[in-house]
Amino acid sequence: MTPPRRREQGLVRAYVVTDGRAHPTRNTLDIVSLVNAVTGRPMAGLTPERRAVMELCRGGALSVAEVAGYLALPLSVTKVLISDLIDSGHIIARAAIPKAQLPDVQLLQEVLNGLRARL
Amino acid sequence: MTSHISGVVFWPVAVVAVVALVMWVRQAAAAARLGKRLATAEQEVRSREADIRVREAELAHLVDVRLPAVELGGRRPQQGLRDDRLAGAAYGQRMDQVVNRFVGAVEKARVRADQSAKATLKAAMRSVQALANEQQLSISDMQDRHDSPYVLQDLMEIDHANSQFARRAQAIAVLCGSWPGRQRAASPLIDVLRGAKSRIRDYQRVEIGPGPDIDVISRAVEPVVLAVAELLDNATRHSQPNTSVEVTLRPAHNGTTVVIDDAGVGMDELEVSLAVERLGGGENLDINRLGDPPQFGFAVIGVLAARYGFSVSVDTRSPYGGVRAVLFLPKALLVTAGTAAAPVVARAAHHRAAAQDDLPVRTPAVRAVAAEPAVAAPAAAEPVHERAPGDDEVPQTPITGATVGGLPKRRRREASGEQVAARHARTAEPLPDEDTGPIRTPYETASRMGAFARGTRSGRAESADDEGTTQE
Repeated sequence: MTPPRRREQGLVRAYVVTDGRAHPTRNTLDIVSLVNAVTGRPMAGLTPERRAVMELCRGGALSVAEVAGYLALPLSVTKVLISDLIDSGHIIARAAIPKAQLPDVQLLQEVLNGLRARL
Repeated sequence: MTSHISGVVFWPVAVVAVVALVMWVRQAAAAARLGKRLATAEQEVRSREADIRVREAELAHLVDVRLPAVELGGRRPQQGLRDDRLAGAAYGQRMDQVVNRFVGAVEKARVRADQSAKATLKAAMRSVQALANEQQLSISDMQDRHDSPYVLQDLMEIDHANSQFARRAQAIAVLCGSWPGRQRAASPLIDVLRGAKSRIRDYQRVEIGPGPDIDVISRAVEPVVLAVAELLDNATRHSQPNTSVEVTLRPAHNGTTVVIDDAGVGMDELEVSLAVERLGGGENLDINRLGDPPQFGFAVIGVLAARYGFSVSVDTRSPYGGVRAVLFLPKALLVTAGTAAAPVVARAAHHRAAAQDDLPVRTPAVRAVAAEPAVAAPAAAEPVHERAPGDDEVPQTPITGATVGGLPKRRRREASGEQVAARHARTAEPLPDEDTGPIRTPYETASRMGAFARGTRSGRAESADDEGTTQE
Protein backbone atom coordinates (compact mmCIF):
# COMPACT_ATOMS: atom_id res chain seq x y z
CA MET A 1 0.00 0.00 0.00
CA THR A 2 1.52 3.31 -0.97
CA PRO A 3 0.88 6.21 1.35
CA PRO A 4 -1.46 8.75 -0.19
CA ARG A 5 -0.07 11.99 -1.49
CA ARG A 6 -0.14 14.43 1.34
CA ARG A 7 -2.30 17.47 1.09
CA GLU A 8 -0.49 20.61 0.09
CA GLN A 9 1.40 21.26 3.28
CA GLY A 10 1.74 24.56 4.95
CA LEU A 11 -0.64 26.50 2.76
CA VAL A 12 -3.41 26.85 5.31
CA ARG A 13 -1.82 27.08 8.73
CA ALA A 14 -3.22 25.45 11.84
CA TYR A 15 -4.32 28.70 13.47
CA VAL A 16 -6.53 29.49 10.50
CA VAL A 17 -8.04 26.01 10.59
CA THR A 18 -9.06 26.41 14.25
CA ASP A 19 -9.46 30.19 14.10
CA GLY A 20 -6.68 30.65 16.61
CA ARG A 21 -7.92 28.22 19.24
CA ALA A 22 -5.67 25.50 20.54
CA HIS A 23 -7.82 24.19 23.36
CA PRO A 24 -10.64 21.86 22.42
CA THR A 25 -13.98 22.67 24.02
CA ARG A 26 -13.93 19.30 25.76
CA ASN A 27 -11.06 17.26 27.08
CA THR A 28 -12.81 13.93 26.81
CA LEU A 29 -11.45 13.17 23.36
CA ASP A 30 -8.68 10.66 23.17
CA ILE A 31 -6.74 9.56 20.12
CA VAL A 32 -8.70 6.32 20.07
CA SER A 33 -12.09 7.93 20.69
CA LEU A 34 -14.48 6.95 17.96
CA VAL A 35 -16.36 9.61 16.10
CA ASN A 36 -19.41 9.16 13.96
CA ALA A 37 -21.21 11.68 11.79
CA VAL A 38 -24.80 12.54 12.51
CA THR A 39 -26.69 12.31 9.26
CA GLY A 40 -28.97 15.05 8.12
CA ARG A 41 -27.13 17.96 9.66
CA PRO A 42 -26.67 21.00 7.45
CA MET A 43 -23.20 21.23 5.98
CA ALA A 44 -23.47 24.84 4.90
CA GLY A 45 -21.17 27.22 6.68
CA LEU A 46 -18.65 24.58 7.64
CA THR A 47 -15.02 25.22 6.86
CA PRO A 48 -13.40 22.83 4.36
CA GLU A 49 -11.65 20.87 7.13
CA ARG A 50 -14.84 20.44 9.13
CA ARG A 51 -16.65 19.34 6.02
CA ALA A 52 -13.90 16.82 5.30
CA VAL A 53 -14.25 15.43 8.84
CA MET A 54 -17.99 15.04 8.28
CA GLU A 55 -17.48 13.28 4.96
CA LEU A 56 -14.88 10.98 6.46
CA CYS A 57 -17.02 10.01 9.40
CA ARG A 58 -20.10 9.43 7.33
CA GLY A 59 -18.69 6.11 6.18
CA GLY A 60 -18.69 4.69 9.68
CA ALA A 61 -16.96 5.33 12.94
CA LEU A 62 -13.37 6.45 12.82
CA SER A 63 -10.89 7.08 15.56
CA VAL A 64 -9.61 10.59 16.14
CA ALA A 65 -6.15 9.44 15.13
CA GLU A 66 -7.46 8.20 11.81
CA VAL A 67 -9.28 11.45 11.08
CA ALA A 68 -6.07 13.34 11.82
CA GLY A 69 -4.14 11.01 9.55
CA TYR A 70 -6.49 11.37 6.60
CA LEU A 71 -6.72 15.11 6.90
CA ALA A 72 -2.96 15.43 7.43
CA LEU A 73 -3.60 17.70 10.36
CA PRO A 74 -1.90 17.62 13.75
CA LEU A 75 -3.77 15.57 16.33
CA SER A 76 -4.33 18.50 18.64
CA VAL A 77 -5.83 20.55 15.82
CA THR A 78 -8.10 17.66 14.86
CA LYS A 79 -9.33 17.47 18.43
CA VAL A 80 -10.31 21.14 18.34
CA LEU A 81 -12.22 20.58 15.10
CA ILE A 82 -14.00 17.48 16.33
CA SER A 83 -14.93 19.13 19.64
CA ASP A 84 -16.52 21.96 17.68
CA LEU A 85 -18.43 19.52 15.52
CA ILE A 86 -19.63 17.67 18.61
CA ASP A 87 -20.78 20.99 20.07
CA SER A 88 -22.70 21.83 16.92
CA GLY A 89 -24.27 18.38 16.90
CA HIS A 90 -22.61 17.23 13.71
CA ILE A 91 -20.68 14.41 15.28
CA ILE A 92 -21.16 11.91 18.07
CA ALA A 93 -18.12 10.64 19.90
CA ARG A 94 -17.79 7.48 21.87
CA ALA A 95 -15.10 6.97 24.42
CA ALA A 96 -12.53 4.35 23.61
CA ILE A 97 -13.39 0.80 24.51
CA PRO A 98 -12.56 0.37 28.20
CA LYS A 99 -9.90 -2.10 29.15
CA ALA A 100 -10.97 -5.53 30.32
CA GLN A 101 -11.52 -5.76 34.06
CA LEU A 102 -8.33 -7.08 35.58
CA PRO A 103 -8.36 -8.75 38.97
CA ASP A 104 -7.51 -6.53 41.85
CA VAL A 105 -3.75 -6.30 42.41
CA GLN A 106 -4.26 -6.53 46.15
CA LEU A 107 -6.20 -9.77 45.76
CA LEU A 108 -3.48 -11.25 43.62
CA GLN A 109 -0.91 -10.18 46.15
CA GLU A 110 -2.89 -11.90 48.91
CA VAL A 111 -3.17 -15.07 46.87
CA LEU A 112 0.54 -14.95 46.23
CA ASN A 113 1.24 -14.40 49.91
CA GLY A 114 -1.05 -17.27 50.80
CA LEU A 115 0.64 -19.55 48.34
CA ARG A 116 4.04 -18.56 49.60
CA ALA A 117 2.95 -19.25 53.13
CA ARG A 118 1.73 -22.69 52.08
CA LEU A 119 4.71 -23.67 49.98
CA MET B 1 44.17 149.07 -62.80
CA THR B 2 41.60 148.32 -60.29
CA SER B 3 40.02 145.88 -62.67
CA HIS B 4 43.44 144.36 -63.34
CA ILE B 5 44.10 143.95 -59.65
CA SER B 6 40.63 142.58 -59.03
CA GLY B 7 41.14 140.21 -61.92
CA VAL B 8 44.43 139.09 -60.52
CA VAL B 9 42.88 138.48 -57.10
CA PHE B 10 39.65 136.98 -58.37
CA TRP B 11 40.97 133.95 -60.21
CA PRO B 12 43.10 132.42 -57.53
CA VAL B 13 40.41 133.04 -55.04
CA ALA B 14 37.90 131.39 -57.30
CA VAL B 15 40.13 128.43 -57.84
CA VAL B 16 40.74 128.06 -54.14
CA ALA B 17 37.07 128.36 -53.48
CA VAL B 18 36.25 125.72 -56.00
CA VAL B 19 38.87 123.44 -54.64
CA ALA B 20 37.66 124.04 -51.14
CA LEU B 21 34.14 123.33 -52.19
CA VAL B 22 35.09 120.15 -53.88
CA MET B 23 37.09 119.05 -50.87
CA TRP B 24 34.24 119.93 -48.54
CA VAL B 25 31.81 117.96 -50.60
CA ARG B 26 34.09 114.94 -50.63
CA GLN B 27 34.68 115.31 -46.94
CA ALA B 28 31.03 115.51 -46.27
CA ALA B 29 30.40 112.40 -48.35
CA ALA B 30 33.15 110.50 -46.54
CA ALA B 31 31.81 111.62 -43.18
CA ALA B 32 28.34 110.52 -44.16
CA ARG B 33 29.70 107.12 -45.25
CA LEU B 34 31.61 106.73 -42.02
CA GLY B 35 28.64 107.77 -39.95
CA LYS B 36 26.55 105.17 -41.70
CA ARG B 37 29.11 102.45 -41.13
CA LEU B 38 29.44 103.45 -37.53
CA ALA B 39 25.74 103.24 -37.09
CA THR B 40 25.52 99.73 -38.59
CA ALA B 41 28.50 98.62 -36.52
CA GLU B 42 26.90 99.93 -33.39
CA GLN B 43 23.71 98.21 -34.24
CA GLU B 44 25.53 94.96 -34.80
CA VAL B 45 27.33 95.30 -31.50
CA ARG B 46 24.07 95.90 -29.76
CA SER B 47 22.42 92.89 -31.34
CA ARG B 48 25.43 90.74 -30.52
CA GLU B 49 25.28 91.91 -26.95
CA ALA B 50 21.63 91.05 -26.78
CA ASP B 51 22.40 87.68 -28.26
CA ILE B 52 25.07 87.03 -25.65
CA ARG B 53 22.70 88.05 -22.90
CA VAL B 54 20.11 85.62 -24.24
CA ARG B 55 22.67 82.84 -24.34
CA GLU B 56 23.89 83.60 -20.84
CA ALA B 57 20.38 83.57 -19.57
CA GLU B 58 19.83 80.30 -21.38
CA LEU B 59 22.95 78.85 -19.79
CA ALA B 60 21.80 79.97 -16.38
CA HIS B 61 18.42 78.41 -17.12
CA LEU B 62 20.17 75.18 -18.04
CA VAL B 63 22.19 75.08 -14.84
CA ASP B 64 19.55 76.35 -12.47
CA VAL B 65 16.36 74.82 -13.85
CA ARG B 66 16.75 72.21 -16.55
CA LEU B 67 19.48 70.03 -15.07
CA PRO B 68 18.04 70.04 -11.53
CA ALA B 69 14.72 68.98 -13.05
CA VAL B 70 16.46 66.04 -14.65
CA GLU B 71 18.22 65.24 -11.39
CA LEU B 72 14.94 65.14 -9.55
CA GLY B 73 13.64 62.65 -12.04
CA GLY B 74 9.99 62.39 -12.84
CA ARG B 75 8.89 64.50 -9.93
CA ARG B 76 9.25 67.75 -11.90
CA PRO B 77 8.25 68.09 -15.56
CA GLN B 78 11.03 68.26 -18.12
CA GLN B 79 11.91 71.89 -18.93
CA GLY B 80 12.43 73.19 -22.48
CA LEU B 81 14.45 76.12 -23.80
CA ARG B 82 13.82 79.43 -22.09
CA ASP B 83 13.95 81.53 -25.24
CA ASP B 84 12.15 80.22 -28.27
CA ARG B 85 14.34 82.25 -30.62
CA LEU B 86 17.16 79.77 -29.96
CA ALA B 87 15.06 76.75 -30.76
CA GLY B 88 16.17 76.38 -34.37
CA ALA B 89 19.69 77.66 -33.89
CA ALA B 90 22.79 75.53 -33.52
CA TYR B 91 23.27 76.89 -30.01
CA GLY B 92 19.84 75.71 -28.94
CA GLN B 93 20.42 72.28 -30.38
CA ARG B 94 23.69 72.00 -28.50
CA MET B 95 21.92 72.95 -25.31
CA ASP B 96 19.37 70.21 -25.91
CA GLN B 97 22.19 67.77 -26.53
CA VAL B 98 23.72 68.68 -23.17
CA VAL B 99 20.42 68.02 -21.45
CA ASN B 100 19.95 64.72 -23.27
CA ARG B 101 23.42 63.52 -22.35
CA PHE B 102 22.71 64.44 -18.78
CA VAL B 103 19.39 62.61 -18.84
CA GLY B 104 21.11 59.55 -20.25
CA ALA B 105 23.80 59.63 -17.59
CA VAL B 106 21.26 60.04 -14.81
CA GLU B 107 19.13 57.20 -16.16
CA LYS B 108 22.13 54.92 -16.50
CA ALA B 109 23.23 55.66 -12.96
CA ARG B 110 19.71 55.09 -11.67
CA VAL B 111 19.39 51.75 -13.44
CA ARG B 112 22.76 50.65 -12.20
CA ALA B 113 21.98 51.64 -8.61
CA ASP B 114 18.58 49.97 -8.86
CA GLN B 115 20.03 46.77 -10.21
CA SER B 116 22.71 46.55 -7.59
CA ALA B 117 20.22 47.31 -4.82
CA LYS B 118 17.87 44.66 -6.20
CA ALA B 119 20.61 42.07 -6.54
CA THR B 120 21.79 42.68 -2.99
CA LEU B 121 18.29 42.55 -1.55
CA LYS B 122 17.42 39.47 -3.58
CA ALA B 123 20.43 37.56 -2.33
CA ALA B 124 19.77 38.64 1.24
CA MET B 125 16.09 37.75 1.03
CA ARG B 126 16.76 34.37 -0.47
CA SER B 127 18.60 33.20 2.62
CA VAL B 128 15.97 34.76 4.87
CA GLN B 129 13.23 32.99 2.92
CA ALA B 130 15.01 29.68 3.16
CA LEU B 131 15.34 30.07 6.90
CA ALA B 132 11.68 31.02 7.27
CA ASN B 133 10.61 27.98 5.29
CA GLU B 134 12.87 25.76 7.34
CA GLN B 135 11.41 27.16 10.51
CA GLN B 136 7.90 26.61 9.19
CA LEU B 137 8.67 22.97 8.56
CA SER B 138 10.02 22.45 12.03
CA ILE B 139 6.97 24.18 13.50
CA SER B 140 4.75 21.84 11.49
CA ASP B 141 6.73 18.86 12.73
CA MET B 142 6.37 20.03 16.30
CA GLN B 143 2.64 20.46 15.85
CA ASP B 144 2.44 16.90 14.63
CA ARG B 145 4.60 15.57 17.43
CA HIS B 146 3.05 17.19 20.47
CA ASP B 147 -0.48 16.53 21.54
CA SER B 148 -0.88 19.25 24.12
CA PRO B 149 -3.15 22.24 23.66
CA TYR B 150 -0.70 24.41 25.56
CA VAL B 151 2.15 23.52 23.25
CA LEU B 152 -0.13 23.99 20.27
CA GLN B 153 -1.14 27.43 21.48
CA ASP B 154 2.47 28.53 21.67
CA LEU B 155 3.34 26.92 18.38
CA MET B 156 0.46 28.71 16.70
CA GLU B 157 1.79 32.05 17.86
CA ILE B 158 5.26 31.26 16.62
CA ASP B 159 3.83 29.93 13.38
CA HIS B 160 1.75 33.06 12.88
CA ALA B 161 4.71 35.36 13.37
CA ASN B 162 6.85 33.19 11.13
CA SER B 163 4.26 33.24 8.35
CA GLN B 164 4.11 37.02 8.36
CA PHE B 165 7.87 37.18 8.42
CA ALA B 166 8.10 34.83 5.46
CA ARG B 167 5.56 36.89 3.54
CA ARG B 168 7.57 40.08 4.02
CA ALA B 169 10.72 38.40 2.82
CA GLN B 170 8.84 36.93 -0.11
CA ALA B 171 7.34 40.29 -1.07
CA ILE B 172 10.73 41.98 -1.11
CA ALA B 173 12.22 39.12 -3.10
CA VAL B 174 9.43 39.41 -5.66
CA LEU B 175 9.97 43.15 -5.98
CA CYS B 176 13.61 42.47 -6.66
CA GLY B 177 12.71 40.23 -9.56
CA SER B 178 12.85 36.89 -7.79
CA TRP B 179 10.24 34.15 -7.99
CA PRO B 180 7.70 33.87 -5.19
CA GLY B 181 9.55 30.88 -3.88
CA ARG B 182 7.74 27.71 -3.04
CA GLN B 183 6.32 25.48 -5.72
CA ARG B 184 2.95 24.13 -4.73
CA ALA B 185 0.48 21.65 -6.13
CA ALA B 186 -2.73 22.95 -7.64
CA SER B 187 -4.96 23.86 -4.70
CA PRO B 188 -8.60 24.76 -4.20
CA LEU B 189 -9.25 28.47 -4.54
CA ILE B 190 -10.76 28.56 -1.07
CA ASP B 191 -7.53 27.10 0.36
CA VAL B 192 -5.53 29.65 -1.58
CA LEU B 193 -7.55 32.43 0.03
CA ARG B 194 -7.19 30.86 3.45
CA GLY B 195 -3.48 30.51 2.80
CA ALA B 196 -3.41 34.24 2.20
CA LYS B 197 -5.37 34.70 5.41
CA SER B 198 -2.70 32.69 7.24
CA ARG B 199 -0.08 35.26 6.42
CA ILE B 200 -1.50 38.45 7.84
CA ARG B 201 -1.63 39.80 11.34
CA ASP B 202 -5.37 40.16 11.92
CA TYR B 203 -6.43 36.96 10.23
CA GLN B 204 -9.36 36.47 12.59
CA ARG B 205 -11.13 39.48 11.13
CA VAL B 206 -11.13 38.05 7.63
CA GLU B 207 -14.33 36.28 6.64
CA ILE B 208 -14.21 34.22 3.51
CA GLY B 209 -17.53 33.49 1.86
CA PRO B 210 -18.47 30.36 -0.02
CA GLY B 211 -17.26 30.06 -3.57
CA PRO B 212 -17.15 27.87 -6.63
CA ASP B 213 -15.34 24.55 -6.44
CA ILE B 214 -12.32 25.36 -8.53
CA ASP B 215 -8.60 24.92 -8.18
CA VAL B 216 -5.82 27.36 -8.90
CA ILE B 217 -3.13 25.89 -11.13
CA SER B 218 0.15 24.96 -9.52
CA ARG B 219 2.16 27.78 -11.07
CA ALA B 220 -0.18 30.48 -9.82
CA VAL B 221 -0.88 29.29 -6.27
CA GLU B 222 1.92 31.09 -4.51
CA PRO B 223 1.61 34.37 -6.48
CA VAL B 224 -2.13 34.56 -5.88
CA VAL B 225 -1.64 33.76 -2.20
CA LEU B 226 0.90 36.54 -1.94
CA ALA B 227 -1.20 39.09 -3.84
CA VAL B 228 -4.35 38.33 -1.84
CA ALA B 229 -2.33 38.42 1.38
CA GLU B 230 -1.10 41.92 0.52
CA LEU B 231 -4.65 43.06 -0.23
CA LEU B 232 -5.96 41.54 2.99
CA ASP B 233 -3.10 43.08 4.92
CA ASN B 234 -3.96 46.52 3.53
CA ALA B 235 -7.63 45.96 4.27
CA THR B 236 -7.10 44.91 7.89
CA ARG B 237 -4.41 47.47 8.53
CA HIS B 238 -6.52 50.40 7.38
CA SER B 239 -9.73 49.52 9.16
CA GLN B 240 -10.90 49.50 12.75
CA PRO B 241 -9.95 46.43 14.80
CA ASN B 242 -13.60 45.65 15.49
CA THR B 243 -14.65 45.57 11.85
CA SER B 244 -14.41 42.57 9.62
CA VAL B 245 -12.96 42.22 6.15
CA GLU B 246 -15.22 40.35 3.78
CA VAL B 247 -13.94 38.20 0.98
CA THR B 248 -16.49 37.10 -1.59
CA LEU B 249 -16.00 34.97 -4.65
CA ARG B 250 -17.92 35.63 -7.80
CA PRO B 251 -17.72 33.35 -10.78
CA ALA B 252 -17.51 35.27 -14.03
CA HIS B 253 -17.73 34.25 -17.65
CA ASN B 254 -14.03 33.84 -18.23
CA GLY B 255 -12.65 33.55 -14.75
CA THR B 256 -13.41 34.21 -11.12
CA THR B 257 -13.35 37.42 -9.16
CA VAL B 258 -12.19 37.72 -5.59
CA VAL B 259 -13.73 40.79 -3.98
CA ILE B 260 -12.22 42.11 -0.76
CA ASP B 261 -14.28 44.71 1.09
CA ASP B 262 -13.14 46.53 4.16
CA ALA B 263 -14.90 49.05 6.35
CA GLY B 264 -11.87 51.23 6.81
CA VAL B 265 -10.93 54.80 6.07
CA GLY B 266 -10.68 54.35 2.33
CA MET B 267 -8.25 56.13 0.05
CA ASP B 268 -8.34 59.69 -1.24
CA GLU B 269 -7.86 60.47 -4.92
CA LEU B 270 -4.11 60.93 -4.66
CA GLU B 271 -3.69 57.58 -2.93
CA VAL B 272 -5.93 55.89 -5.47
CA SER B 273 -3.95 57.34 -8.36
CA LEU B 274 -0.69 56.26 -6.74
CA ALA B 275 -2.10 52.78 -6.11
CA VAL B 276 -3.32 52.48 -9.70
CA GLU B 277 0.07 53.58 -10.95
CA ARG B 278 1.83 50.98 -8.82
CA LEU B 279 -0.61 48.22 -9.66
CA GLY B 280 -0.04 48.89 -13.35
CA GLY B 281 3.68 49.35 -12.88
CA GLY B 282 4.65 45.86 -13.92
CA GLU B 283 8.18 44.65 -13.72
CA ASN B 284 10.14 47.83 -14.28
CA LEU B 285 9.70 49.32 -10.90
CA ASP B 286 12.13 51.43 -8.96
CA ILE B 287 12.48 50.06 -5.48
CA ASN B 288 14.10 53.31 -4.40
CA ARG B 289 10.87 55.16 -5.04
CA LEU B 290 8.57 53.30 -2.69
CA GLY B 291 8.59 56.04 -0.11
CA ASP B 292 9.78 56.11 3.43
CA PRO B 293 8.77 53.81 5.07
CA PRO B 294 8.58 51.81 1.83
CA GLN B 295 5.13 50.68 0.78
CA PHE B 296 5.56 47.36 -0.91
CA GLY B 297 1.98 46.15 -1.11
CA PHE B 298 0.63 47.52 -4.37
CA ALA B 299 4.00 47.36 -6.07
CA VAL B 300 4.31 43.65 -5.27
CA ILE B 301 0.80 42.99 -6.52
CA GLY B 302 1.56 44.94 -9.68
CA VAL B 303 4.66 42.87 -10.37
CA LEU B 304 2.85 39.59 -9.73
CA ALA B 305 -0.20 40.56 -11.76
CA ALA B 306 1.94 41.50 -14.74
CA ARG B 307 3.98 38.33 -14.46
CA TYR B 308 1.16 35.81 -13.98
CA GLY B 309 -1.66 37.42 -15.88
CA PHE B 310 -4.27 38.28 -13.30
CA SER B 311 -5.55 41.76 -12.65
CA VAL B 312 -6.23 43.80 -9.55
CA SER B 313 -8.13 47.04 -9.14
CA VAL B 314 -8.66 49.09 -6.00
CA ASP B 315 -10.38 52.17 -7.37
CA THR B 316 -13.89 51.33 -6.21
CA ARG B 317 -15.36 52.13 -2.84
CA SER B 318 -16.72 49.32 -0.77
CA PRO B 319 -20.33 49.51 0.40
CA TYR B 320 -18.95 49.66 3.94
CA GLY B 321 -17.07 52.87 3.22
CA GLY B 322 -13.61 51.45 2.81
CA VAL B 323 -11.79 50.17 -0.21
CA ARG B 324 -13.09 47.42 -2.47
CA ALA B 325 -10.21 45.47 -3.96
CA VAL B 326 -11.10 43.25 -6.88
CA LEU B 327 -8.75 40.52 -8.03
CA PHE B 328 -9.71 38.86 -11.27
CA LEU B 329 -8.35 35.39 -11.99
CA PRO B 330 -8.68 34.46 -15.66
CA LYS B 331 -9.63 30.94 -16.71
CA ALA B 332 -6.04 30.23 -17.71
CA LEU B 333 -5.06 30.21 -14.03
CA LEU B 334 -7.91 27.95 -12.92
CA VAL B 335 -8.79 24.29 -13.34
CA THR B 336 -11.93 22.47 -12.36
CA ALA B 337 -11.76 20.99 -8.89
CA GLY B 338 -10.79 17.41 -8.28
CA THR B 339 -8.13 17.18 -10.93
CA ALA B 340 -5.56 18.45 -8.47
CA ALA B 341 -5.64 15.81 -5.77
CA ALA B 342 -7.77 12.82 -4.91
CA PRO B 343 -10.34 13.86 -2.35
CA VAL B 344 -9.62 12.80 1.20
CA VAL B 345 -12.79 10.76 1.46
CA ALA B 346 -11.97 8.62 -1.56
CA ARG B 347 -8.57 7.89 -0.07
CA ALA B 348 -10.14 6.91 3.22
CA ALA B 349 -12.58 4.57 1.48
CA HIS B 350 -9.70 3.03 -0.43
CA HIS B 351 -7.85 2.39 2.79
CA ARG B 352 -10.82 0.92 4.47
CA ALA B 353 -11.28 -1.51 1.61
CA ALA B 354 -7.60 -2.35 1.59
CA ALA B 355 -7.52 -2.91 5.33
CA GLN B 356 -10.46 -5.24 5.13
CA ASP B 357 -8.91 -7.24 2.32
CA ASP B 358 -5.91 -7.82 4.54
CA LEU B 359 -7.86 -9.21 7.43
CA PRO B 360 -9.42 -12.64 7.43
CA VAL B 361 -13.02 -12.65 8.52
CA ARG B 362 -14.22 -15.21 11.02
CA THR B 363 -17.93 -14.91 10.54
CA PRO B 364 -19.72 -13.17 7.76
CA ALA B 365 -22.13 -11.71 10.28
CA VAL B 366 -22.96 -8.52 8.48
CA ARG B 367 -24.90 -6.04 10.47
CA ALA B 368 -25.85 -2.59 9.53
CA VAL B 369 -24.30 -0.19 11.98
CA ALA B 370 -24.85 3.05 10.14
CA ALA B 371 -27.38 4.50 7.79
CA GLU B 372 -25.57 3.43 4.63
CA PRO B 373 -25.52 -0.35 4.58
CA ALA B 374 -23.03 -0.49 1.71
CA VAL B 375 -20.37 1.21 3.79
CA ALA B 376 -21.44 -0.29 7.06
CA ALA B 377 -21.34 -3.88 5.93
CA PRO B 378 -17.59 -4.15 5.57
CA ALA B 379 -17.20 -2.12 8.72
CA ALA B 380 -18.69 -4.99 10.67
CA ALA B 381 -15.88 -7.25 9.64
CA GLU B 382 -14.20 -8.86 12.58
CA PRO B 383 -10.57 -7.85 12.57
CA VAL B 384 -9.27 -10.75 14.68
CA HIS B 385 -7.13 -13.48 13.28
CA GLU B 386 -8.67 -16.80 12.71
CA ARG B 387 -7.75 -19.20 15.42
CA ALA B 388 -7.21 -22.85 14.94
CA PRO B 389 -9.32 -25.05 17.21
CA GLY B 390 -6.23 -26.52 18.84
CA ASP B 391 -5.23 -23.18 20.26
CA ASP B 392 -7.91 -23.27 22.89
CA GLU B 393 -6.75 -26.54 24.34
CA VAL B 394 -4.19 -26.18 27.09
CA PRO B 395 -1.53 -28.71 26.33
CA GLN B 396 -0.43 -30.98 29.09
CA THR B 397 2.68 -29.89 30.86
CA PRO B 398 4.88 -32.47 32.41
CA ILE B 399 4.51 -32.82 36.15
CA THR B 400 7.94 -32.84 37.67
CA GLY B 401 7.08 -33.59 41.25
CA ALA B 402 4.91 -32.64 44.20
CA THR B 403 5.10 -29.94 46.81
CA VAL B 404 5.06 -30.60 50.50
CA GLY B 405 1.42 -29.60 50.54
CA GLY B 406 0.64 -32.22 47.91
CA LEU B 407 0.14 -29.90 45.03
CA PRO B 408 1.66 -31.05 41.76
CA LYS B 409 4.74 -29.16 40.57
CA ARG B 410 4.76 -28.31 36.95
CA ARG B 411 7.58 -27.21 34.75
CA ARG B 412 7.02 -24.14 32.63
CA ARG B 413 5.53 -25.16 29.34
CA GLU B 414 7.87 -24.81 26.40
CA ALA B 415 6.60 -24.95 22.94
CA SER B 416 8.07 -27.82 21.03
CA GLY B 417 9.66 -27.24 17.68
CA GLU B 418 6.77 -28.59 15.65
CA GLN B 419 4.25 -26.59 17.65
CA VAL B 420 6.14 -23.42 16.89
CA ALA B 421 6.40 -24.35 13.24
CA ALA B 422 2.72 -25.16 13.08
CA ARG B 423 1.82 -21.84 14.66
CA HIS B 424 4.03 -19.98 12.25
CA ALA B 425 2.46 -21.79 9.36
CA ARG B 426 -1.01 -20.94 10.61
CA THR B 427 -0.31 -17.26 10.96
CA ALA B 428 1.59 -17.10 7.71
CA GLU B 429 -1.08 -18.83 5.67
CA PRO B 430 -3.99 -16.45 5.90
CA LEU B 431 -1.78 -13.38 5.79
CA PRO B 432 0.78 -13.96 3.09
CA ASP B 433 1.59 -10.32 2.64
CA GLU B 434 2.15 -9.79 6.33
CA ASP B 435 5.74 -10.96 6.13
CA THR B 436 6.63 -9.00 3.04
CA GLY B 437 6.32 -5.69 4.78
CA PRO B 438 7.99 -5.81 8.15
CA ILE B 439 7.42 -2.13 8.74
CA ARG B 440 3.87 -0.88 8.56
CA THR B 441 3.17 2.56 7.28
CA PRO B 442 1.34 4.84 9.67
CA TYR B 443 -1.67 4.71 7.36
CA GLU B 444 -1.78 0.99 7.53
CA THR B 445 -1.49 1.05 11.29
CA ALA B 446 -4.20 3.68 11.51
CA SER B 447 -6.55 1.68 9.30
CA ARG B 448 -5.92 -1.48 11.33
CA MET B 449 -6.61 0.37 14.53
CA GLY B 450 -9.79 1.66 13.01
CA ALA B 451 -10.82 -1.78 11.84
CA PHE B 452 -10.17 -3.13 15.30
CA ALA B 453 -12.19 -0.35 16.86
CA ARG B 454 -15.07 -0.94 14.45
CA GLY B 455 -14.95 -4.64 15.17
CA THR B 456 -15.18 -4.21 18.91
CA ARG B 457 -17.93 -1.68 18.42
CA SER B 458 -19.99 -4.06 16.36
CA GLY B 459 -19.28 -6.75 18.94
CA ARG B 460 -20.65 -4.55 21.66
CA ALA B 461 -23.69 -3.78 19.59
CA GLU B 462 -24.24 -7.52 19.20
CA SER B 463 -24.04 -8.21 22.92
CA ALA B 464 -26.46 -5.33 23.58
CA ASP B 465 -24.22 -4.30 26.41
CA ASP B 466 -23.80 -0.57 26.17
CA GLU B 467 -20.44 0.02 27.66
CA GLY B 468 -19.46 3.02 25.65
CA THR B 469 -20.44 6.38 26.93
CA THR B 470 -22.14 8.45 24.35
CA GLN B 471 -21.33 12.11 24.11
CA GLU B 472 -23.80 14.47 22.76
